[in-house]
Amino acid sequence: MAEERRGSWFGFGFCGFGQALGSGRGRQVHSPEPLRTPGAGADVRRVSASWSYTAVVTRGGQVQLSGAADGAAGGCRDAWASEALLVVLRAGRGLGPGPELQAWAPGSALRGEPLWTHTLVPEAEGADGAGGEAQAGALPLLPGARAYVSPRPPFYRPLAPELRARRLELGAEHALLLDEAGQVFSWGQGRHGQLGHGTLEAEPEPRLLEALQGLPMAEVAAGGWHSVCVSETGDIYIWGWNESGQLALPTRSLSEDGKTVAREGEASGLNEGGPEVRRTAGGEEGAPAPFIALQPFPALLDLPGGADAVKASCGSRHTAVVTRTGELYTWGWGKYGQLGHKGTTSLDRPRRVEYFVDKQLQVRAVSCGLWNTYVCAVERGES
Amino acid sequence: MAEDNREPPAGAGTLREALRALLPHRKEELVPELGEKVERSVVQLLWEAAELFCGGRRSECLQASEAILDYSWEKLNTGPWQDVHKDWRRVYAFGCLLKAVCLFEEPGDSAAVAAALKACDMGLLMGAAIHGDILIKVAAVLQAHLPSAKRPGPGLAEEQPSMKKARDDCVSVPDVASERLVPRLRCPSLQHFRKQFLVPGRPVILEGVADQWPCMTKWSLEYIQDIAGCRTVPVEVGSRYTDEDWSQTLMTVDEFISRYVRSESKDVGYLAQHQLFDQIPELKRDISIPDYCCLGDGEEEEITINAWFGPQGTVSPLHQDPQQNFLVQVIGRKYIRLYSPQESEALYPHETHLLHNTSQVDVENPKREKFPRFAEAPFLSCVLSPGEVLFIPARYWHYVRALDLSFSVSFWWS
Repeated sequence: MAEERRGSWFGFGFCGFGQALGSGRGRQVHSPEPLRTPGAGADVRRVSASWSYTAVVTRGGQVQLSGAADGAAGGCRDAWASEALLVVLRAGRGLGPGPELQAWAPGSALRGEPLWTHTLVPEAEGADGAGGEAQAGALPLLPGARAYVSPRPPFYRPLAPELRARRLELGAEHALLLDEAGQVFSWGQGRHGQLGHGTLEAEPEPRLLEALQGLPMAEVAAGGWHSVCVSETGDIYIWGWNESGQLALPTRSLSEDGKTVAREGEASGLNEGGPEVRRTAGGEEGAPAPFIALQPFPALLDLPGGADAVKASCGSRHTAVVTRTGELYTWGWGKYGQLGHKGTTSLDRPRRVEYFVDKQLQVRAVSCGLWNTYVCAVERGES
Repeated sequence: MAEDNREPPAGAGTLREALRALLPHRKEELVPELGEKVERSVVQLLWEAAELFCGGRRSECLQASEAILDYSWEKLNTGPWQDVHKDWRRVYAFGCLLKAVCLFEEPGDSAAVAAALKACDMGLLMGAAIHGDILIKVAAVLQAHLPSAKRPGPGLAEEQPSMKKARDDCVSVPDVASERLVPRLRCPSLQHFRKQFLVPGRPVILEGVADQWPCMTKWSLEYIQDIAGCRTVPVEVGSRYTDEDWSQTLMTVDEFISRYVRSESKDVGYLAQHQLFDQIPELKRDISIPDYCCLGDGEEEEITINAWFGPQGTVSPLHQDPQQNFLVQVIGRKYIRLYSPQESEALYPHETHLLHNTSQVDVENPKREKFPRFAEAPFLSCVLSPGEVLFIPARYWHYVRALDLSFSVSFWWS
């Protein structure tokens, strides 16, 4: 997985706790604003945002918190923010040469003693070269891919080595795993169709997404109750709960609000909806598309103009995708401005965030918190 | 509390006073007691919201309460409902409470009062009781200030619907005389009922037990709209819950009656399996609890009372419930078919965990090739009429179709 290029970070959406989001004084930021990180020019390597606070990790190894949790510390390779726990990967200190995994209560983060620590075995990092740099940004997946961190006990969860995990993402009640061969596994609760196996049943153990077999994936992203993955050829597959349009499929809640959605049949390759597919009036050709509450099978999603996707990230109920040409598309729940379209309208179709186009910026990466969105972009013309 | 300089309209001032009187005055008393499950950041926000409220900063408090609602809503939707920690439901109820009392900037704006009432109802539907059922009290005060004449909502075309609304000629009343009937008894003694029906698990219709309940004479569409018209309730839309087209939604009782009861709706709407009497205690006074429930092991508070209110034609597909059930018919008639649990295999239950207590067979239109054993399975049936009580033993399969506009009350007990 490519490292994030040097670029500037921007943020928009919920900042009710004063977490780093541009001006951040109001409770919501509706359009992208540059991140104000202390230490001008500090190169941000990763942004991990929870609901009430945001953790920023710099290339220099600093982790900086803002919002309901604050503080900073050094010697940090990676950080992952959740409401229950802040998880930090510190370069080897104390006992052994391996990196130390620290879990902090966000309220007292980085001060005093962590809630617990776990020293990782150095050779488990694999042949990644100098200090396992390329593994950074993988939390909650641990270096060596033998285990991952959960915000709920048990906090340390082993993974079967044959899974060969490359990337792991956690939703509110499910988990997604991408392996070295580009295959996707899912497990956890399935009542919202977020596991993608075509049922609403739970899966206790990682189960292969058979619908995607043969299509190597490059990225996975988990929202609260939905799942997204991006193939190596730039296609987006999406499944799970669509109550706010986070699957870019028509949802009744948006049409009843009077926001008519002019469908152009963007979600092609639609597999059978689950038992909660509801049909609107009509049924002749040209009739309005059906409302979809749940999509328990992966559905192929086309972006406007057939753009290829390269990165994806999900908040609770919204989705953000970066294209190969450096554009950012967002859709889903927008009540706190997390879609970045200068309003609080929710959308059930992808829309480009014009700010980056207007400012001649190429988007390189995106990282969503529960109700906000952080974006890394470079000036066009830079490599 | 911030004081207005304007003269508020007379009614509005009393509304605000009435609401303020219900709430604790100090923020320390306002925030509910919560355990460890609720994250520190959320507690921080609750305190902030309480402080804003006590400081009279209504619109900021409203903003904070929206965030409280949205965050706790996510917790309510995480994991199985029965595993959702009660504290999250309390947080949600608290958010609803603050939203309800902060919503109307312009007193006298009946739309805002209706919205505040809806917030109370959401808290009652999904939240857990805080401050001694304060949401019920707030709802009652709001409802009192929302007189029916001024209620916003759908215009009602017809004024006086007939109880025995004969819509079309296609009311198919089954030829029950040709079927084996559920036995009927008039006021059996507790011992007789227990020995002959409860213990062996046999259905029976009890007459003379509920026919004097106030609901039997008091309840009508007008009465229900009067007492509960502006209250938000869950409605099932679609012919039956096993259909692909089936969904659940929220609307006021007025909207439900207007859309699905009085008018010829293409869709079937059913106010089904809803604990209406917890939400609107005034209605509870019109019903009682059948004496025979004392034969069970549970406490009276544990008895689940559900309302089932809908137009002619609502269907509950053949299914079984884990508890004993008294189904009391109040308005209209229902055709009910009952199959013993011993016949379960011939009823082809769904294999999924979600629907394993539901049969795949459409009872009045079964696919004989697909479900060959169904036709041979013995059953009992009846037409349940107002004033009658049907005893459905635990795990007894039952299928219900409303022959008229119907209101039933079910009592689930153990």
